[in-house]
Amino acid sequence: MASQLSFAGFAWKNLWRRRLRTLLTLCGIAMAIGAFVALVGFSRAFEHEWLRMYESSGTDLAIVEKTFLNTSLEESVGPKLNALPVVAQARPMVFNLIDLTPEINALVYGWQADSYELDSLVITSGRRFRDGQPEILLGEILAGNLNKKAGDTLEIQGSTFTVVGIDHGGSALEAGAVIMPLDQLQRLSSLEGKVTAFHVRLRPAPAGEAQDHYLKRAQAQIENALPGLHAIPAAERASNNQIVLLAHAAAWGTSSIALLMGILGIANTMAMSVFERTREIGILRALGWKRSSVMLLIQTEAVVLGLAGGFLGLGVGWGTLRLLAALPQTASIVSASVSPLHLLQALGIAIVSGLVAGAIPAWRGAHLSPVEALRHD
Amino acid sequence: MRSLCKSYDEGRIEALRGVDLCIAEGEYLAITGASGSGKSTLLQLLGGLDIPTSGEVLFQNAALGAAVGLDAYRAHKVGFIFQAFYLLPTLRAIENVQVPMLAVSESARNRAERAEGLLCEMGLKDRLNQYPNELSAGERQRVAIARALANDPAILLADEPTGNLDSVNSARIMEMLIGIHQRRGMTLVVVTHENEIANAAPRHIRIRDGRIAS
Repeated sequence: MASQLSFAGFAWKNLWRRRLRTLLTLCGIAMAIGAFVALVGFSRAFEHEWLRMYESSGTDLAIVEKTFLNTSLEESVGPKLNALPVVAQARPMVFNLIDLTPEINALVYGWQADSYELDSLVITSGRRFRDGQPEILLGEILAGNLNKKAGDTLEIQGSTFTVVGIDHGGSALEAGAVIMPLDQLQRLSSLEGKVTAFHVRLRPAPAGEAQDHYLKRAQAQIENALPGLHAIPAAERASNNQIVLLAHAAAWGTSSIALLMGILGIANTMAMSVFERTREIGILRALGWKRSSVMLLIQTEAVVLGLAGGFLGLGVGWGTLRLLAALPQTASIVSASVSPLHLLQALGIAIVSGLVAGAIPAWRGAHLSPVEALRHD
Repeated sequence: MRSLCKSYDEGRIEALRGVDLCIAEGEYLAITGASGSGKSTLLQLLGGLDIPTSGEVLFQNAALGAAVGLDAYRAHKVGFIFQAFYLLPTLRAIENVQVPMLAVSESARNRAERAEGLLCEMGLKDRLNQYPNELSAGERQRVAIARALANDPAILLADEPTGNLDSVNSARIMEMLIGIHQRRGMTLVVVTHENEIANAAPRHIRIRDGRIAS
């Protein structure tokens, strides 16, 4: 069978002639795509886990003073909220991020012992905490990382707490968290009389009223009754809070820098390749190749580089996420799962990176004069 | 070719100075001249690799670059053979022959079969899968001839086709080119330094200082 030459095969042979350079370029773009998959994946997983936490507890609205997390409002607002007709339950909560050991920090939630949010947790050993007592529940991942079980004690910021139970929550944010009585966390955080937010579970929507419409009506009713406060739907709170936004910004910022380096790597490789192959491009033009065909060949090479690097990067990113999900320092806030859409997005970015990086070398190669190119040494 | 002029370096170097030349379909023409006389420039203009400063090249009464697109002309009407072979080093012999066919729409299978047939015609049946650096100079030039024939052109343009070959291979290559010209009725234009080759052609012109001297 005669060997068939395809356009893509030709492009691949051109890349493979400089194996080391090609492999190094692949590594560069793989690291960039890996960083994107890991960092953006991490920040999206973080947002997703946040939403799962709200959904599993049945929280419909979060009541905050501002739209950011570093907010506090008076705990005394609670009775007014609970008196509103649309509100089934409004429960205060305090949220913090605390160093438990030099290596391990964890999200800490302060809830009332009778909060509906505790109902969504499965206590796998021990019992619930009691208000006013130095007692805590540990998420099962955190308990494993700290090697604690029910009955043990844990020192948090100079105070000793008894681990009264281990819980299995609906979200990684709970599985890696400490949950303690609201008053205890208020004391630790110097927030006596203040709370981070109220989580509200609404009464069922009246028959015939759409859920979205009901949610908007409830928001308006709460904000009218309590001027200066914001009632934010849980889904919006999950995606639009300060920690998630910071995580997204850091992930995209770092990934963008890595991608820029990857693009420059491909561009450099393609520019070198076009320079070295000037005469060959002249030969192609002499053999009847159009400018557009030469451009397509060079762009194909750049895209093949980007795509191959992209696939490698998917592996790098996924491996990194798995590693982060296994490390005690990050296990509480990282999920190893990556959505297919995110992977497709990464591959799309890899292809676009190749196209962008190859554009100028391709244009330059295609516009070489055939005669000048053939004379090139 | 009508009043063909080609100058470089903003007119300071005049490679061709008003060349008029008519080449009949199916003709075999040899072009000789000293280095720098303009013979290669003439071949480049004839092959649509470059455009004249003034004057025009007509192919079947249509002006190149205006009525006939240069890319399409090079792809379909002209086959080039170079002194230095100019095979692509990363491709096997049979793949090199397929390169011009990538510029025209044809199936991969047809391309490969046609390339194999051309290489067999050049006596390279056993060398299909060799890379250029695994071939002798004579074999490389035969691959280059097969490549020039890939899209079944009307004109074969050979620029010093035997310049890098010994006398035995030179004779064999010229025999092949003349055989192709005769069998296929292709127009053959050979630029050469060698009087023996030039004198064997039915028509022979000499270029001197950018003009046809005889």
